[in-house]
Amino acid sequence: MIGALAAALAFSALAAAPGVVLAADPQSEVVLVIEANRFQPEEVRVKAGAPFVLVVTNRDPGPEEFESRELRIEKVIPPGKTVRLRMPALKAGTYPFVGEYHAKTAKGRIVAE
Amino acid sequence: MAATFVVTLREGFEAALLLGIVYACLDRFGARQHYRWVTLGGALGLVASVLMGIAVTFLSGPLLDLGPDLVGAAVIFAAVGLLTWHGWWMSRHAHAMRSDVQRRVAEAEATRQLSILGLIAFTGVFREGAETVLFLWGLMSQTAEGASWWGLAGGVLGVLTAAALGWTVFRGGTRLSVRHFFAATSVVLLLIAAGLFSTGLGKLQALGVLPVTDALWDSSALLSDHSLVGGFATGLVGYRARPTLVEVTGYMLYLITAGALFLGGRRAIGARSGSREPTSSS
Repeated sequence: MIGALAAALAFSALAAAPGVVLAADPQSEVVLVIEANRFQPEEVRVKAGAPFVLVVTNRDPGPEEFESRELRIEKVIPPGKTVRLRMPALKAGTYPFVGEYHAKTAKGRIVAE
Repeated sequence: MAATFVVTLREGFEAALLLGIVYACLDRFGARQHYRWVTLGGALGLVASVLMGIAVTFLSGPLLDLGPDLVGAAVIFAAVGLLTWHGWWMSRHAHAMRSDVQRRVAEAEATRQLSILGLIAFTGVFREGAETVLFLWGLMSQTAEGASWWGLAGGVLGVLTAAALGWTVFRGGTRLSVRHFFAATSVVLLLIAAGLFSTGLGKLQALGVLPVTDALWDSSALLSDHSLVGGFATGLVGYRARPTLVEVTGYMLYLITAGALFLGGRRAIGARSGSREPTSSS
């Protein structure tokens, strides 16, 4: 019993170590803002192989659809709203996305490295 | 204008095609008096789309993060189930439609099928309906704020063009012989349903319900997801330039299983009529 407790404590101490936390932390957030039918920033860099949360806020007066064909995401974001997209661990590479409703200007990419 | 036209045409085309097919089905069943069930299904799909569009603008937090995606996935798999049932039903009853006496029996059974046709119309419209409604609403608010009319005009024109294409499918379908109509519809529905099935699996992967798998190949040089044709192929038959293992396996399994279900009945009928022919000619 005490052994198990000690093991659990040791494990949580290990999990709290900085290097370990980064890979296993599902709360690691990447922030995107839609303004004037463009993404800010247009390129986000994430760590390959680590899941993360993509937080997208639409500051425009009209709705926008965040779409990535590569990542199978089609997500309407109403004006003034924020959505949190749980992203899987990505392999190293470039994953383009667009604002489907303003695809001419609203373009960006996620670079996993 | 061209950009907004393409968006609404692509989102409306699948719905228009399915509506054209189910209306033509009723015509071929000799049950035109029951068009209202399909109309009702389509109208309810439109109402649901508007309600969903309104709901999305009021939702926030986890409900907005996940709610629409879960509804979307549920609609996709419901549509796959309905289309499979419909294709299977057609393959069983196609032969009964060929003689007039049998036709009347089939008509009676066809009326039981009407609720399914209504539901197909509903899911067909509802699947991309909310997105189209929100898109058009965005265009309207932009126009009200002084943007040029061209964007909105393009969006409306895209919906109208999709409807016109659906009408063309309907007209063409009603001119085909019953046998050709069932054969053509079976193939089209099979491809649409297989595409929907793999799209649904891809959505489940994106939602983290199914494990994420690597892309099996990359045909984006040949036909990119981002091109005009690629976009239509994605919406209609589930084309992906970089499909995952799960999507490809699901697509193949569905094609094989439902293909046997859709065409198996026809082959059995073909065998039966084939064995009859020599006796009549001798």
